[in-house]
Amino acid sequence: MSLSRLRLMLWLVVGLVALGMVVLIWRQSQPQQTASTTLGTIGGPFTLTGTDGRPFASSRLNGKPAAIFFGFTHCPDVCPTTLARLAKLRRQLGQGDDALAIVFVTVDPERDTPAELGNYLTLYDTPVVGLTGSPTQIEQIKKQFGVYSRKVEQPGGGYSVDHTASVILLDRSGQFVATLSPEEGDQVALEKLKRITA
Amino acid sequence: MKRTLLLAFPFLLAACGQSGDPNIQLGNAWARPTRGDAPAAVYVAINNKGEADDRLVGAFTDHAALAMVHQTELVDGVATMRMAGEINVPAGQRIEMVPGGTHIMLEGLRAPLRTGDSFDLVLKFRKSGDRKVVVDVTKAEQL
Repeated sequence: MSLSRLRLMLWLVVGLVALGMVVLIWRQSQPQQTASTTLGTIGGPFTLTGTDGRPFASSRLNGKPAAIFFGFTHCPDVCPTTLARLAKLRRQLGQGDDALAIVFVTVDPERDTPAELGNYLTLYDTPVVGLTGSPTQIEQIKKQFGVYSRKVEQPGGGYSVDHTASVILLDRSGQFVATLSPEEGDQVALEKLKRITA
Repeated sequence: MKRTLLLAFPFLLAACGQSGDPNIQLGNAWARPTRGDAPAAVYVAINNKGEADDRLVGAFTDHAALAMVHQTELVDGVATMRMAGEINVPAGQRIEMVPGGTHIMLEGLRAPLRTGDSFDLVLKFRKSGDRKVVVDVTKAEQL
């Protein structure tokens, strides 16, 4: 190989690296994929499966504000904490269980059968709507509500699921209103719930 | 000579700080009830009343196949749960595990936890060795 040819090839490599860097920088400057769900498009009608194994249409929630949380029954810390918190907040609202629907949608449909989910929700001594579905249905509703989840292998075998920790609040007509973050105080959360149940 | 002594003094002080032993006391250990074969999270208060730091390095119990020190973290609104490394328990400090943070995860429970149950859990410390605490199972809604 002649020296000039080698030089040409080296320049080609330099060019490719530069191009790669430009693409990388461009991609990083793009907004995150998760941001593609804008406020106006969160929610919408859906049909999943209830804990009785029968289809559950979102229209059954209409007329009632709802707090929707995505989790899974093999979640020992975040999910029980959030569900217990929602139950407590609903009690503090003082308008009875009918004033606000607490909805728990599984992001682990493979393990969380309707029966498994129903059994799990008896832990809370308060009505919680449990919803599961086929993996495709769950992917669809996650997209609809801008929710993220990902399976993570556990060192001891089995798996856990990383998932969005915020609760999604819908008004009586099923319109998205706000989210509740685990990091905000109960007082702020209660004010938000008062607004949607007023 | 004087200078050497002066230089050595801070090291001497630092050594004094660690001269005692840690004194680990465990308390307020609780877990929520569980259903099916779901794992449980145990929360414990660790009080180091001693004069030296110690480190929580592991956990075990007869009640589950596996006990792990776990950490829940919130990253960009997403809750993740991972094995925690060793947890430092500084001399004279109290660490209280609360939901949404560090906890002992029990996988493969011998039986689901029921409200009112209690069982023994052992926490392993680098210097203090094994320390036992009784875990109370408390109704989820009361918390």
